[in-house]
Amino acid sequence: MTRLMVGAFYNPHLAAELLDAPAGQLDHLAMADPPHPQDPHWPKIRERFTLLLHDYLGQLSEPLDERSILRARSLASLYNTPWVAEHFQCLHTEDGSYQLNYVFPPLYTEEFLGRFVVNANALKARLDQPLVMENIPGFFDVKASQMPEPLWLRRFFDATETGFLLDLPHIWLEAHYHGKPATRFLEEFPLDRVVELHVAGVAQDRDLEGPWIAPTAPSDAMLDLLACAVERCPQARAVTFDAFSPSLTSDVLWQSMERIRGAL
Amino acid sequence: MSDRALQDRVIRALADAPFRASAAWRGEPLADPDRVERFAHFLARHFYYERIHHFFRYSRALARITRRAPDAVLAAPGFEALFPTLVLGSRASAEAVARLVVQYVGSGEPGVAYHADLLRYEQAMMLVESGPRVWRDGELGDGRGERSNPVMVAGTVLLDLDYDLPAVLAKLVEPWTEVPACPRKPTRLVVARSRHGRVSVARTTVVIDTIMQLADGRKNIEDLAAEAGLRPEELAATLQGLVELGAVRFSTGS
Repeated sequence: MTRLMVGAFYNPHLAAELLDAPAGQLDHLAMADPPHPQDPHWPKIRERFTLLLHDYLGQLSEPLDERSILRARSLASLYNTPWVAEHFQCLHTEDGSYQLNYVFPPLYTEEFLGRFVVNANALKARLDQPLVMENIPGFFDVKASQMPEPLWLRRFFDATETGFLLDLPHIWLEAHYHGKPATRFLEEFPLDRVVELHVAGVAQDRDLEGPWIAPTAPSDAMLDLLACAVERCPQARAVTFDAFSPSLTSDVLWQSMERIRGAL
Repeated sequence: MSDRALQDRVIRALADAPFRASAAWRGEPLADPDRVERFAHFLARHFYYERIHHFFRYSRALARITRRAPDAVLAAPGFEALFPTLVLGSRASAEAVARLVVQYVGSGEPGVAYHADLLRYEQAMMLVESGPRVWRDGELGDGRGERSNPVMVAGTVLLDLDYDLPAVLAKLVEPWTEVPACPRKPTRLVVARSRHGRVSVARTTVVIDTIMQLADGRKNIEDLAAEAGLRPEELAATLQGLVELGAVRFSTGS
């Protein structure tokens, strides 16, 4: 296995502290939003860190339009990203009338598999960098799904030869809400395709009445899952602390980076 | 029903509380109703957190004076009382949530002379952003097609203020020790949204005012120019700027 890069998301309110960090503490930054035109730190951030494109490009249940593809290409070029990430998500209706503004998985059916394969292949053909796709958790099962998520993902990756961005908290949450051991559930996924891993903290959510992703440090259980996953992901190149929120504090960021490095 | 249509049904159930309560959904729910309800509440709180955080950022910057952080309303009973009626992204829900914020923040400590104007400005931004948007070019109603007559886009807001807010906004989100001053000067702004959901603001001019009053889709550029007492070429540049802003579109030929 090549040396793993360890990084975080670019949170502009912490930019000054990111730039003050000693060399080697942070290898890369994932970019969830384009840089703000008035961000005074952006030029130095861009110069210093490897940047990973992790923006919303579009939902691959439909083909990306030309405007979205050109935007993706432009951001990929701006960041000089080693790969481009998108999500297995379908969060707005086909006619645009309803939207969730939050990642939400598609139905795991043959029809959706066909849609995602065709549209991901079309996007991949227009990018100069490899495409990686991130798994999205379901808080509930939808009766219309026809196959387990891990099998759907395996078939997608086989048909597209794209990379897998393995979001471990998503696996952990899904296992939690289905009453399964996370490590056993993890083994069902196509880990041989993993290029990047996300790790994050979880906290109790008042609406869900259970845990969900939060801008907190990863727990011991999450770090155990990370250690377990990394051993099973021979192609993995990066681990990213997945916290992108104005409420993330620098203390939590650095504590998390230290804990993640300690677990690897 | 296609799988895509089934997915749309689930998305709608999560986004649209009245639909979630309707016989149309409850008679044939595609998922555990309790979990769907909990996830819908989670999504609603997240959806409006993002909008309040973004559109009320100037009031947030003033919270150390007013003692009222705008996003605090999301944890208050008033927001939870809206759960049965919320439709994520709708104008009516944006109005209801923005009203809660304005009432809460507006009743904070005094000390910012232009705060009432600022709240109206932020509220207008949040309202204009709401409503269906074009996610992909080429979708129905995306405004393409043969160009015809200019028409003001529904949802565009003209905002009359007592203070020249654009002069102070950038200063509010920079570090300050004393509340930045704002010139008291009647100011009219146009707040509009692009087809893809980007909200923009511009100061109005006499020409813009004229276009906004007269662009009803029935007059062509020459008619508009004649009524405004301007040459068509004078009007055209401003019109193009308003189209880019999202305030005016050209009705499409049928």
